[in-house]
Amino acid sequence: MPSYSVPLRDMKFVYNELFDPTDISALPGFEDATEDLINPILEEAARLAENELFPLNTTGDLEGCQFDNGHVTTPQGFIDAYKQYAEGGWVGLPCDPKYGGQGIPAAVNVLMEEMACSANVSFATYVGLTRGAYRAVNTFANDDLKNQFLPKMVSGEWSGTMCLTEPQCGTDLGLIKTKAALQSDGTYTLSGTKIFITAGEHDLTQNIIHLVLGRLPDAPKGIKGISLFLVPKFLPDTEGNPSTRNPIFCARIENKMGIKASATCEMNLDGATGWLVGEPHKGMRAMFTMMNDARLGVGIQGLGIGESAYQAAATYARDRQQGRALTGAKTPDAPADSLLVHPDIRRTLLTMRAFTEGARALAVWIGRNIDIRDHSNDAEAKKQADDIVQLLTPIVKSYLSEAGHDNAQMAIQIYGGHGYIRENGVEQYARDARIAMIYEGANGIQALDLVGRKMPAHMGRYLRRFFHPIQDWIGAHTADPDLQPFVLPLAKAFGRLQMATGQIAKAGLKDPNEAAAASSEYLKLFALVALAFLWARMAQTAMRQKDSSEPEFYEAKIKTAQFFMERVLPQTGALFSSIMAGGSTLMNFSDDAF
Amino acid sequence: MSTIQKVAVIGSGVMGSGIAAQAANAGMSVVLLDIIDSNNPDRSSVARGAIARMLKTVPAPLMQPRNAKQITPGNIEDDLALVSDCDLIIEVVLESLEIKQSLYQSLLRHRKPGSIVTSNTSTIPLHNLVDKMPEDFRQHFAITHFFNPPRYMRLLEIVAGPDTQPEVIETLRNFGDRQLGKSVVNCKDTPGFIANRIGILWMGVAVRFAFEHEMAVEEVDAIIGKPMGIPKTGVFGLLDLVGIDLQPHVERSMLSMLPQSDMYRDIHRPSAFIEKMINDGYTGRKGKSGFYRLNRSGGAKVKEAIDLKTAEYHPAIKVDLESIEAGRAGLRQLVEHPDRGGQYAWRVLSHTLSYSASLIPEIADDVQAIDEAMRSGYGWKWGPFELIDKLGPRWFAEKLKADGMAVPALLEQVGDGSFYRTHNGALQYFDTNDGYRNVCRPTGVLLLSDLKRATEKIAGNRSASIWDIGDQVMCLEFHSKMNAIDEGIMQMAVEATKLAATKGYKALVIHNEGANFSVGANVGLGLFAANIAAWPNITESVKQGQEVYKKLKFAPFPVVGAPSGMALGGGCEVLLHCDAIEAHAETYMGLVEVGVGLVPAWGGCKEMLLRWSNNPKHAKGPMPAVTKVFETVATATVAKSADESRALMFLRPSDGIVMNRDRLLIAAKTRALALAEDYAPPEPQELRLPGPSGETAMNMVLDDFHKAGKATQHDVTVGKKLAYVLAGGKTDPTDPITEDKLLNLERSAIVSLLRTPQTLDRIEHMLETGKPLRN
Repeated sequence: MPSYSVPLRDMKFVYNELFDPTDISALPGFEDATEDLINPILEEAARLAENELFPLNTTGDLEGCQFDNGHVTTPQGFIDAYKQYAEGGWVGLPCDPKYGGQGIPAAVNVLMEEMACSANVSFATYVGLTRGAYRAVNTFANDDLKNQFLPKMVSGEWSGTMCLTEPQCGTDLGLIKTKAALQSDGTYTLSGTKIFITAGEHDLTQNIIHLVLGRLPDAPKGIKGISLFLVPKFLPDTEGNPSTRNPIFCARIENKMGIKASATCEMNLDGATGWLVGEPHKGMRAMFTMMNDARLGVGIQGLGIGESAYQAAATYARDRQQGRALTGAKTPDAPADSLLVHPDIRRTLLTMRAFTEGARALAVWIGRNIDIRDHSNDAEAKKQADDIVQLLTPIVKSYLSEAGHDNAQMAIQIYGGHGYIRENGVEQYARDARIAMIYEGANGIQALDLVGRKMPAHMGRYLRRFFHPIQDWIGAHTADPDLQPFVLPLAKAFGRLQMATGQIAKAGLKDPNEAAAASSEYLKLFALVALAFLWARMAQTAMRQKDSSEPEFYEAKIKTAQFFMERVLPQTGALFSSIMAGGSTLMNFSDDAF
Repeated sequence: MSTIQKVAVIGSGVMGSGIAAQAANAGMSVVLLDIIDSNNPDRSSVARGAIARMLKTVPAPLMQPRNAKQITPGNIEDDLALVSDCDLIIEVVLESLEIKQSLYQSLLRHRKPGSIVTSNTSTIPLHNLVDKMPEDFRQHFAITHFFNPPRYMRLLEIVAGPDTQPEVIETLRNFGDRQLGKSVVNCKDTPGFIANRIGILWMGVAVRFAFEHEMAVEEVDAIIGKPMGIPKTGVFGLLDLVGIDLQPHVERSMLSMLPQSDMYRDIHRPSAFIEKMINDGYTGRKGKSGFYRLNRSGGAKVKEAIDLKTAEYHPAIKVDLESIEAGRAGLRQLVEHPDRGGQYAWRVLSHTLSYSASLIPEIADDVQAIDEAMRSGYGWKWGPFELIDKLGPRWFAEKLKADGMAVPALLEQVGDGSFYRTHNGALQYFDTNDGYRNVCRPTGVLLLSDLKRATEKIAGNRSASIWDIGDQVMCLEFHSKMNAIDEGIMQMAVEATKLAATKGYKALVIHNEGANFSVGANVGLGLFAANIAAWPNITESVKQGQEVYKKLKFAPFPVVGAPSGMALGGGCEVLLHCDAIEAHAETYMGLVEVGVGLVPAWGGCKEMLLRWSNNPKHAKGPMPAVTKVFETVATATVAKSADESRALMFLRPSDGIVMNRDRLLIAAKTRALALAEDYAPPEPQELRLPGPSGETAMNMVLDDFHKAGKATQHDVTVGKKLAYVLAGGKTDPTDPITEDKLLNLERSAIVSLLRTPQTLDRIEHMLETGKPLRN
């Protein structure tokens, strides 16, 4: 079985050294978010992840969720672990203190989420869905609904879901059929079928608050006629306690490739009672709020699994003795050398590590911008932060889920045949990671979001928040001889990104298929440049610490940065060539020939 | 036919003074007479006051304030003799038969033989006006019906009486068309003539069914507006504009004259709701407010609309009707849509269009007269018969039948055909008697749209095309969105210079029939490039633009610009590089780049410096020209007419002004051919500019403006860049500076401004709201 320990040192490096933590503690409401508070929280969260969640990962996978006559049972140990998690206040960690949350910055929360996903991604989905539902209700519902439902969701006593998908519609939510009708008491009655509902039914909480997309009788057709409703499993009584069972029932759970301990439910609404969240027909706006949060969360699933896969692979490679170094035996007394003597093993491990450490920095970067967006008093700063969150969301979702999955596959490769055996645990990572590339908007959709919405928004204003700081940083450090190994490759990749952006914008104006045809490669190019920027800055930060008491940590950081620049970033050349080749070979291919 | 040189206008109300102003704008001497205000010692105070008021009116009736000097005020008791040397006397007094008749009697003593008398009446039949007048008077009498405001509304309806001499009508048509720039439509002596006859029914239908279909005011105007090609004021916005209280009078007057069987009698319903609005003083923009109002109470301006049920105001809603969405695909999709909007649209169109079709030959002999009247009198994009063609005449007739409505005979006659068609390259209309006839333009009119029907383009792309307009002259037409200058236009400009060499063209005219010649460079692309920090590309594209405009300027053949409407920024700069400009009188030129935080950089600064420096009347020395250009460009001044463009030197004294935009292309082509005789391209010039000392002087002005709170910090930043360019950078007054050096200065100034976030915010704001951001 693999082992996992939370990379606390690296998390603190990113939070406190790479970025300036006082940017966050200077924001209204985060005055207490200093190292004294943050570090103990991170350490306690790490303990919980390592000791409570991680041990349930393999068993949960083997046992899976059980369905019996409308009831779903989570694997053994989940109820207790969830209880600890909720009682410790972890469910409501980033939530508003007004509703009992801890009010912890998003920049810290992304690190917690990473830990939870590394330790047990199935478990993390239950909490993740509650947070998404919390945010939609908090942003769009009226005060009555908020006061009635949010405190119990924040405390973890009740959980949440997002009910979007129906049998006939996944990506295209305009096709939603679920019907909602106003009743005389101001509530609505909902009927329809929802599928693929994560945490739709389970035994972890006494109530489940479903956020359901449906259609009112007078609704315009398509996406403009969707409304959002809050539909609890149990209707609260006058005291606010779960009382009448609402007819929203689980008909079955799916038998899936991975995240087997996360219940994926088909939900039937048969005249269930609900409340309108936000305005009629404006449900998509609320849904996007939920979805944007969820998309970041899914990216972090990729990062989390990528990290545990790396740790498993590194440990295995260090311990496993097989073959001899090409330059002569490294440990002649042993029957064979460690796997670490083999260049390709080292390449694989460094690739994994360069991803997780870079991705962690990217996650914290976007988390910091969420904090500025939600807490700053400076309108311009809020706008800039929102721009960058908008821009980076599809990149984080897509690239982190894909690279996280790659990490899991690489871990299997390092394990060799043993990686393919279930009880050794790493193949579970590959199965668990696979879904992240699909749900909350498949990665292809993320790429379209990037080129179709985010790129042209306000004639490229979102892009400015990314391109200008990088251009300025390159300009400011081009002459620094110590930074040459980082600035020059970054500048080269950045130039490719600029040209590709210009090309896609121009070609896309004439023919949207051209932009769409380049979108996946473009997203990857974009992500690599973002990581390169962060790696260059991480190298710069580490170099300033040469005389510290932890020279190994900083040296490894600088060397990983060099590896990224020399062995990963050149992928941008190939991506650039593909993008510039245009989409004609895709679109000219006869449909009949497929 | 004779030419009108001197005009008398009697009656100085809004219409009378507006007509007088337009005659003055056309260069005529005008006498403006009105009654005497007995409380005022100045016996001509009424007419004099009207002229003074016009100098403050927006939009301005006068193309230049100094045109007011061409109007001599007077009063009808002392000064009626002033009409004795006038070629034309236009009566615009109260709509009272007795007053008009008695005025005509007194005119008999003063008008010179052969002079023409017209009335601007909109409600009194011509035969009533003149039945007591002698034959000579009747022979020289007609109705000339202008629309408000006379400078801007293109329609002039002319009605001849049975005794009116044909030459008189010819002279009046010429006066309206060539001298005042109007689109002249001959009408019959029927109530409301053409435009108001249909317009009043249309408004009646639109208002009545708005109530019956429970439509919101905003919804009505959104449906009536863009989908039907009607100005965005729709109907409620239009009523606010003209005055809601006026409507009952107009309606009553129409009802008193209309035939007994007229559809309007069925449609007309006095509205208690509107009556109450009028009684309470809600008469539109001139009153407390109307169907809309701007609520400033919260600090910000909020556009509000009235609820047609409760009479309460609410913030104007964003109209969200599926029928409007469906209507993007076509007019039929709009009226076939089952929602309220679609049903309402059908009610309005079915009545308005079938009414129009039933009025031939009663009010007009052919469909083109009615369409032209609605286009130029009410600003409709398509006339009623063009709208029927959009629906399909057969389909329209069937649907009328299905609704139990009468199908006009004309509609039956056209059958499966359409009211307009293109035949052998010519536009034809359906004539009741002879099938199809060619649409005839007035003599001398040359329209690019007609040429385009008859010929294939020589070259073209998405943004621009090149046409052969005969006599070896090319026309470069812009047709990008809002005619913004982009890469495609630049490509075609270069293509035109090549075609001249390879195909032997003698000259190039730059002209289009868009509402605006060009609103400027497509700054969206520049903004995008700046957002991704693509600085070298930006520098390169600015340079390319400069090179293209230089090519036009130094081409071995003449280039003539023929603009109408707005010619701003890069669209103004292309004109500044032409050998000559023939501008429509309603041309609004300006270098407005500072509004988006930029400076003119496609040679605009350079060409303006050259214009002022080369002006023989101008003070010598390097500074005066620089100061003039600085004043114009730093304030983003836009000339409010071609006439004013001349004062600002966007137009040179040698450039022409054409009153009628239909005659613009022919004027430009004629000019181009004249220039092509022995043409020699201009030589590059050198300028003497003041350098740093001049720059300092301009900077001081900017700093003072800033201190006085009249300029923001970024205004100052932009202004100083402009000052640096105009002063010639670090030059010395003794060192001549080349055109290319000036272009380099323009280029580095614009690129450095594009690196400032304030400029990027300004550009974004302009693109998204159409309004400048003062940051």
